[in-house]
Amino acid sequence: MQRRRFLMHAGALAGSAALGQMGVFAARAATAEDYKALVCIFLYGGNDTNNVVVPVDTAGYANYAKLRSTIALPQAQLLPLAVAGGTPAYGLHPALPGLQSLWNAGNMAVVANVGTLVQPLTRAQYLATTSVKPDSLFSHIDQQQQWQASISDTSSLTTGWGGRLSDQLASLNVNAMVPPMISTGGNNLFVTGAASQALVIPTSGAFGLSGYTNSSADSARRAALAQLLNIDSQANLVKAAQNVMTGALASSATLNPILTTTDATLSARFGALTSNFAKQLLAIAKVIEARGSLGARRQVFLATLGSFDTHSDEVNRQQSLLTELDAGLTAFHGAMADIGAGSSVTSFTLSDFSRTFLPNTNGGTDHAWGSHHLVIGDAVHGGQLYGSMPTLAIAGPDDAGDEGRWIPTIAVDQYAATLASWFGADATTLAAVLPNLASFSPATLGFV
Amino acid sequence: MLAIIGLLSGCGGGGGSTTSVSPTSSAPSTPPSPTSPSSPSVTAVTASDAARLLDQATFGVTASDVAQVQSLGIDAYLTQQIAAPASQYSGFVYTPHTAPANCVTDAATPTDASSLCARDQYTPFQVQRDFFVHALNDTDQLRQRVAYALSQIFVVSSVEIYEAYGLAAYQNLLLNDALGNYRTLLEDVTLSPVMGHYLDMVDNAKPDPANGTTPNENYAREVLQLFSIGLYELNADGTQQLDSSGAPIPTYTQDTIEGFSSVFTGWTYPPLPGASSKWTNPINFNGVMVAFDSQHDDTDPKPLLNGYTVPPNQSSAADLKDALDNIFNHPNVGPFIGKQLIQHLVTSNPSPAYVARVSAVFANDGKGVRGNLAAVVRAILTDPEARGDAPASEEFGRLREPALFITAAMRSLGGKSDGVYLRSVSSAMGEPIFDPETVFNFYPPSYVLPGTQTLAPEFGIDNAATVLARANFLNTVIMQSGAAADPTVTGSIGTRINLAPYASTTDPAALIAQLNQALMHGSLPADASNVILQAVKAASTTDVTAPARVASYLILSSGQYQVER
Repeated sequence: MQRRRFLMHAGALAGSAALGQMGVFAARAATAEDYKALVCIFLYGGNDTNNVVVPVDTAGYANYAKLRSTIALPQAQLLPLAVAGGTPAYGLHPALPGLQSLWNAGNMAVVANVGTLVQPLTRAQYLATTSVKPDSLFSHIDQQQQWQASISDTSSLTTGWGGRLSDQLASLNVNAMVPPMISTGGNNLFVTGAASQALVIPTSGAFGLSGYTNSSADSARRAALAQLLNIDSQANLVKAAQNVMTGALASSATLNPILTTTDATLSARFGALTSNFAKQLLAIAKVIEARGSLGARRQVFLATLGSFDTHSDEVNRQQSLLTELDAGLTAFHGAMADIGAGSSVTSFTLSDFSRTFLPNTNGGTDHAWGSHHLVIGDAVHGGQLYGSMPTLAIAGPDDAGDEGRWIPTIAVDQYAATLASWFGADATTLAAVLPNLASFSPATLGFV
Repeated sequence: MLAIIGLLSGCGGGGGSTTSVSPTSSAPSTPPSPTSPSSPSVTAVTASDAARLLDQATFGVTASDVAQVQSLGIDAYLTQQIAAPASQYSGFVYTPHTAPANCVTDAATPTDASSLCARDQYTPFQVQRDFFVHALNDTDQLRQRVAYALSQIFVVSSVEIYEAYGLAAYQNLLLNDALGNYRTLLEDVTLSPVMGHYLDMVDNAKPDPANGTTPNENYAREVLQLFSIGLYELNADGTQQLDSSGAPIPTYTQDTIEGFSSVFTGWTYPPLPGASSKWTNPINFNGVMVAFDSQHDDTDPKPLLNGYTVPPNQSSAADLKDALDNIFNHPNVGPFIGKQLIQHLVTSNPSPAYVARVSAVFANDGKGVRGNLAAVVRAILTDPEARGDAPASEEFGRLREPALFITAAMRSLGGKSDGVYLRSVSSAMGEPIFDPETVFNFYPPSYVLPGTQTLAPEFGIDNAATVLARANFLNTVIMQSGAAADPTVTGSIGTRINLAPYASTTDPAALIAQLNQALMHGSLPADASNVILQAVKAASTTDVTAPARVASYLILSSGQYQVER
């Protein structure tokens, strides 16, 4: 129902010459001091975070190098994560110098060994057949969806935690000119609510219908196109197709000028970057820059970077992917500061799972479980590692088997609750957004 | 056409018969459909049902195909299509995995073949283009349509297989096997060096104690999860079996994956012509992978499905045969693959009874053969849920995915294309042909409409950005003059449709009715026709095809067309 109301609202305004004025007015009244955005960076395929956060102390590195053998990163290349008043215990992957700077500046936190859980689990409990475990562990699509839903005990998931959070805070977005969730990475469960779905925007080119002039013939055709979308159908799929087009026509009219304008401030950060990932973050940055006129006070964004399923040739592949990630996130963080949104925007990673600590015979790794995640923004209490790193031992206390699949020690629910709490969710809202949060303690982790 | 005439003369009373045949008497010309033993009668095919069949079985309805289906009858039409020789991607030759230094893409000022080498040999460009040329023109429509569905189940992607000849070789495999036996298809896919490269079975070696390495689990996991049985034990009707606590029952465990990963060791690329074979051979996508038993894992236990364990000390080939038989005979394969084929051809939400009827044919084609894909496809297309004028329920139908939306519009409007523009717009609509981001295809079969339990796989890529791309494709080919020929492509003809046949229909209502029949087998609702009528009346009067442009643009834009029912 909320989505339908929004569409009617936006559709009614879209044809009005007063659109711009009203948007600015609403924005000044509502958002000058109260705007927050969560930017989810989904790393598709399962990022091997065993090679993102690596021990650099002598004994820790020696153990790492022995076990990772063919895919161990050279110690001298690791980028130390400075800690106040101490010696760095961990280093970042050598492709992440920008993120190392963000850590050192206190703007990036690492959250260790996060994963899908129904309840806390020890190795003994995991190996006992009676324990309650997430459904379909080690399966891409199921683990992606469980991360996106923050629900792990069923395989039929219909909403994501970003969507439910957005639904709960809908009252903050009553003046919004665009849907509260926007994706540059396609449709995604994370940004699907009970009655809402993210608007998917393009990362290049115009966002709108082409081929219409002011001629009477074109005006009549355009009117007919809109009327056809209201022809009642008994078929659910037809109705759904009509709804997607209706939303597209309404929102593209508002966003096309924003997305197609070249902005000198943002270009200074993104100008040299050509990857699709960087283009996604640039499009998101443009929308955030226009937050004053768009009138939303809480926005949830999704960007994606794929091909992390490194079953072979992992060292080369991950080097290239993390280089792209580092450049994009570094530019985006700088751009947020440039447009005065540095402390209003928090970015964070999700991924299917981490990967086996033991390499396979093709110089790659296979599907595993708990993984380390990055949280970035001026509001982040950075330069710190939250949670505890797993014991890097095969068949050790944190291994679910004998290939180095770490049993998570922080649930996705806790990671999500910390971000949602910063976003404005109180305890009641958190319970509504994260139905299984009470199974874990503490509920929030304090990294932002 | 000769083949068709031959079939016509050979199949007696199949065409145009209006007589009913009782279910107990044998059909005069074609074997009884194994799927519909309870089908009460064989009657004349209406133009509307012929067109619906063609929407389900081909890349788009044409008037001549409608006439052919009406003439032959549905069973005989399917028999003819099943027998039609497979179209093939031809002219693609081996290229080394690393492109030569002079292999570039300089389409602006091409001087010789090397100027376009990178685009033509090391991207999917030419294969994607060919896909549309075959889909628009070739007569083995059903085989191509099934092969395209299979390419979205047995996925490889040019994200990793960027050599054009490799992609072409794999698609030829699917075209050749599309209407054969599933067991053959499974083995051919498994031993394809293209799949081997994509999911890492190639060069997968036995464990190396010195490095602590283990066999690669990639193919083991995905062959089970995506290509054969799925994650949960199924009933024959495709619903999940439940345990005593009401929970679904996993089909395998991590131990099973590790068992299969050990089975799938010891294979490398086929040797290049004239080269001696060794472990490991250089990348070569032509032919089938070859075994090196010295690299086969003989130390790890190999528990497979349903309690079966591979005997120790077998060769790579013997292990593989046992493992593929083990998968093939799992009861899930019929419902798991059958339901997905229904979703690709007919409807996103088949009833459990429909899935069960198709599963039964997968299990036994009527002649005691398991896995007969031609029989399965025939069962899908002749099922009572697929046939007849009235869609079964409000859940019936499927969103036309971008490639099929494009080809259906082009074929129904007399379109001609070299595929250059079409491959590009299909990508803009979210479906870059043979180039999905992952082995999970462009969208999962389990995708549901937000907030519902309605399965809607193709809606996984239907969003604001892609629906506007659909509308803008219609603008280009219908309202504008299509796409011009590309001088950098040999034999390029551009992309255009032909609305001349509609220019002589001057009555707007008659024109809309005519296009309604051609595009939607007459199913456009009356209120939609009335809306379109107003726009057609306002169309430009300087262009005799302007009314047909407006009417076809609007019909093809409508939700009623986008969702095939």
